[in-house]
Amino acid sequence: MENERQEALENIELIKDMVLQTKKQMSLSGAGWIAIIWGIYCWIGIAGSWMFIPQGIFEGVWWTGLGFIGLLATFLVVKYKIKPQPERSKTKYMRWFFLFWIPLLILAYTLALLCVFLPGLSHQYITIFILLVVSTGYMMIGFMMFKEMLFMGILGMAATILTAFFFLEYNGIILSVLFGVGLIITGIVINHKWRE
Amino acid sequence: MEEHLSINLDKIIHQKARLGIMSILVVRKEAEFNHLKKRLNLSDGNLSTHLSHLEKAKYIQIKKTFVKKKPKTICRVTEKGKKAFSEYVGNLEKIIADIP
Repeated sequence: MENERQEALENIELIKDMVLQTKKQMSLSGAGWIAIIWGIYCWIGIAGSWMFIPQGIFEGVWWTGLGFIGLLATFLVVKYKIKPQPERSKTKYMRWFFLFWIPLLILAYTLALLCVFLPGLSHQYITIFILLVVSTGYMMIGFMMFKEMLFMGILGMAATILTAFFFLEYNGIILSVLFGVGLIITGIVINHKWRE
Repeated sequence: MEEHLSINLDKIIHQKARLGIMSILVVRKEAEFNHLKKRLNLSDGNLSTHLSHLEKAKYIQIKKTFVKKKPKTICRVTEKGKKAFSEYVGNLEKIIADIP
C-alpha cells in the first residue's frame, strides 16, 4: 500500500513537472520582444541621426545598418520563441503581426514614395500620417483585445494631433521617440498578456 | 484495498512515458513527434509504440503530413483522452488521500 502511495506521489510529481515545463515553453510572452527591439531601434535611430549622423547618404546607411541588426534580433526571437510553439498559438501571433504591421509598413513606404514623387506633399507630414494610422490601429486592437492598447491609441492620437499643431518643426524627433515608447510598452503588454 | 486502487488507475496512462505524453498533450493540445521525442528523451521506436497504445485507446489522434517534402507527425489529444487523463489524476489524488 505504501508502494502504491509512493508511486502515486511520483506520478503526480511527474505530471506537475511536465505541465509546468510545457506551460513555460508554450508561453508566447517572449514574442513581445519583437516590438521592444523595434522600439529601441526607433530610439537609437533617431538619437543617432539627431546627434551624430549628418543628413543624406550617411543617415540612410545608419538607419539601414540598424535595421539589419533589428532584423537579426527579430529572427532570433522568431527562431527561439515563436517557431517551437504549437500551430494554434503560432497562428494567433502571426495573424496579429500580419494584419497590423504589414499593412502599416506598406502604408509607410507608400507615403514616403508619394512625398518623394508628388511635389505638393511635404515630407513633414509622413510621421504624422503614420502615427495617426498606428494610433487608430491600436484603438481597434484595444477594443478587441487589450484595454491597455486602447489607452495607448488614444494617447498616441492626442500626442500626434498636439505635435502637428504646436511642434510641427520637431515632429520627426517627437513622434519617433513616442513611437519607440509605444512599441516598447506594446512589447511589455504582449509579454505580460500572452503568458498562457 | 490494493486491488481496488489498481482497478481505478487507467492502465493505458499508468506508464511513465505515456503519462509524460498525455501531460504534454493535455496542455499543448497537439505536439510534433520530434518535440515529444526530445522532451521525453525516447527513441523513435519506443515513442511510436507508446503513441500507438494511446491512439488505439482513442486518447490521441495521429496525423501524418509532409512539410517541404519532409514527413511530419502531429499528435493531438482527443476529448476522450482529456477525460481519461483528468480521471487518472483524480484517482491518483484519491490514492494519496486514502492511504494515511
